[in-house]
Amino acid sequence: MDYSFTSDQQLLKNSARAFLDEHCKPAAVRLLWDDPRGESDTMWKEMAQLGWLGLSLPEAYGGSALGMVESAILLEELGRAAYPGPYWPTVLAAAAVEAAGTDAQKKRWLSAIATGDARATLAFLDADMDWDPAVMTTRAEKTSNGWALSGTKRFVPWAHVANVLLIPARAPEGPTVFLVDPAASGLKMSPVQGMDLATRWVHLDLDKVPVATDGLLGAPGGAAPLLTGLLRRGAVGAAAEMLGAARRCLDMAVGYAKVREQFGQPIGSFQAIRHKCSEMLLEVENSHSAVYYAAWALDAKSEDEALAASVAKAYVGDAARKVCGEAIQVHGGIGFTWEYDLHIYFKRAKALEPMYGDVDYHREQIVRYVAR
Amino acid sequence: MDLNYAPEDREFREKTRRWLEANTPKHELKTLDERKAWHRKLYEAGYVGMLWPRDYGGWGATPMQQAIVQDEMARVSAPPTINGLGIGFIGPTIIVHGTEAQKKRYLKKMLTAEEIWCQLYSEPNAGSDLASLKTRAEDQGDHFLVNGQKIWTSSGPIADWGILLCRTDPKVAKHRGISCVLLNMRQPGVEVRPLKQITGSSLFSEVFMTNARAEKSDLIGSLNQGWEIAQTTLGYERGANSLGRVTRHAIAFNQLVKATRELKRGGRPLIDDPAVRAKLGRVYADLEVQRYAALRVLSALQKSDSPGAASSITKLSYTEFEKRYYETALEILGPYGQLMVAREEFEEVDTSSGEPGTFATAFLWSRAGTIYSGSSEIQKNIIGERVLGLPKEVRADRLKA
Repeated sequence: MDYSFTSDQQLLKNSARAFLDEHCKPAAVRLLWDDPRGESDTMWKEMAQLGWLGLSLPEAYGGSALGMVESAILLEELGRAAYPGPYWPTVLAAAAVEAAGTDAQKKRWLSAIATGDARATLAFLDADMDWDPAVMTTRAEKTSNGWALSGTKRFVPWAHVANVLLIPARAPEGPTVFLVDPAASGLKMSPVQGMDLATRWVHLDLDKVPVATDGLLGAPGGAAPLLTGLLRRGAVGAAAEMLGAARRCLDMAVGYAKVREQFGQPIGSFQAIRHKCSEMLLEVENSHSAVYYAAWALDAKSEDEALAASVAKAYVGDAARKVCGEAIQVHGGIGFTWEYDLHIYFKRAKALEPMYGDVDYHREQIVRYVAR
Repeated sequence: MDLNYAPEDREFREKTRRWLEANTPKHELKTLDERKAWHRKLYEAGYVGMLWPRDYGGWGATPMQQAIVQDEMARVSAPPTINGLGIGFIGPTIIVHGTEAQKKRYLKKMLTAEEIWCQLYSEPNAGSDLASLKTRAEDQGDHFLVNGQKIWTSSGPIADWGILLCRTDPKVAKHRGISCVLLNMRQPGVEVRPLKQITGSSLFSEVFMTNARAEKSDLIGSLNQGWEIAQTTLGYERGANSLGRVTRHAIAFNQLVKATRELKRGGRPLIDDPAVRAKLGRVYADLEVQRYAALRVLSALQKSDSPGAASSITKLSYTEFEKRYYETALEILGPYGQLMVAREEFEEVDTSSGEPGTFATAFLWSRAGTIYSGSSEIQKNIIGERVLGLPKEVRADRLKA
């Protein structure tokens, strides 16, 4: 039993921290707030060179074939930096292609993703906003030369910069995933902007969007297990990112409590502040335990992997909300200003809270698991 | 990272499980003699004093092995061992700070529970501010004359010996005038009065010392070194016991789920009520995270001997969790959660307090954990100062010192 990182894992964490401290400073994040794309192509290429985009892809496609623990390590650091861009949606979409794609589909997309030449995303949510992968209102009908997709997808991350969209839809055979060209006819994209200006979402309206036969990912009707696995992975990844944002907020709060003086003393010497910071640390450490247990369980295909993923997303959802919010409280007025950087991380954690299943969704999954 | 149990640990678990299946008493242990006999049997099988060095009668086992034993005992709701404070913490204090003669005299009989030990630390006016304790020990040449009162003494009525913190120099700053000495509880100057707790039972006592005698040869460390000794040993074994504790709560959770299937509200089982399901989901996520945290502590213990101040995070985490957990359980169970005597099987839980009972018993006991062994507020002070490096507070008693 070893809960600590291996030296390679620690090295990955350290190099990610060093790179992001240099290239993803708060000022750099702020610069992209008004950018229509919202991400930096230069940074994307650098991330590809660092091997991050192919981190969990097979070596044949230029990847490093590493596991979810390594992805979580990276995502925690990305969350800590409130990195703006389609990293996790692209990596998840690549995992889908790798798991279910044909050789031709893998050749077309995986190498391009690993080299930083392609971005991708996955449209989980339909108009009914149900995270259950079996529930979908978007339909796929057979046509003479392939399929036609109709319906709506909501809050699709970074679809406006994607080179390929993975769209689940209900075919006559059942849930099916399609690789869709973002420029296809009948596809309308409407950007939506939440409070985190470094997270971008797009609503998709599909009106008989044509997909050729080679755009079918896996067998028609067989996508439910694939989507369940992706949602689980997505949830653990999001939890890792939230953990990173929470740790950043904790660090900022503790740093501030050491230097800010009131009543002639650093505020960190007052129990009201010190106890708050200790509770925040407790939540961050428990979140660490939850995220990395779940990541390990996915890699090890442990029998409790589904439970662990839901535990991580549900627990960290609550914990990150508390920690980031209390960080504002410790800072007082300065923490409520636009100029101070704290809200960048506060909002990042908030943006991820409802994604890949919110706290309530995952609590229900836990009950289904333990009360079967 | 590898969270699989090592092959030798899995093997050890199997062996332990088989032993417990064959040897766990089938009936409740009522008398002290029965409990001592069970303790002795566990000791001889290598399941008590596991972390103690072999030289002192221990088994030189790993924290992981100890955690596995406690986990397996929790699984089958085996009766607990006795002398827990002695073996968990007084013995190790003697091992670290005691003389050879003290080790020879006391350790083995502590392990085998031939002699039961208690801790004489807290006083009515010295709780979180333990260093303000007033019990006095006056130098009488070959012995100390002890006068004062202690409180919250576990196992008081059955104890043969106690480890006592007492004031040996009232003239210096309070932290510097305290000594640590072993006290024979079986003497006329020591009176033990059971203290009835909010659970209705009396697992703690008050201890009154009136001209009691403590031998000079029973002084631990040097004169006035008591505070330092108490500080270095408070966190000695914290952490290895949390896995078994979590397992007891997991068993209680199964009972809770069972209750939600059997109890109905508005014509349908509670388990079908979305509000109940949300509560169950929240509390189980919380419980699982405590289990992960326990495994993480064990993993750290494999690499270094002492978790240090980080053990305060563990203690704070699981004791605060226990309050949230049993509060939620009682919300779900409604009036059934208030019963102090179980009528149905699903109402019984192992409270991990040494006192079997119902959810109501466990709920009441959960109020103790965040007070004993350093309250949650004290743990947060330790975490803030020693883990986060926040500035020390300006304290009136330190200013005077």
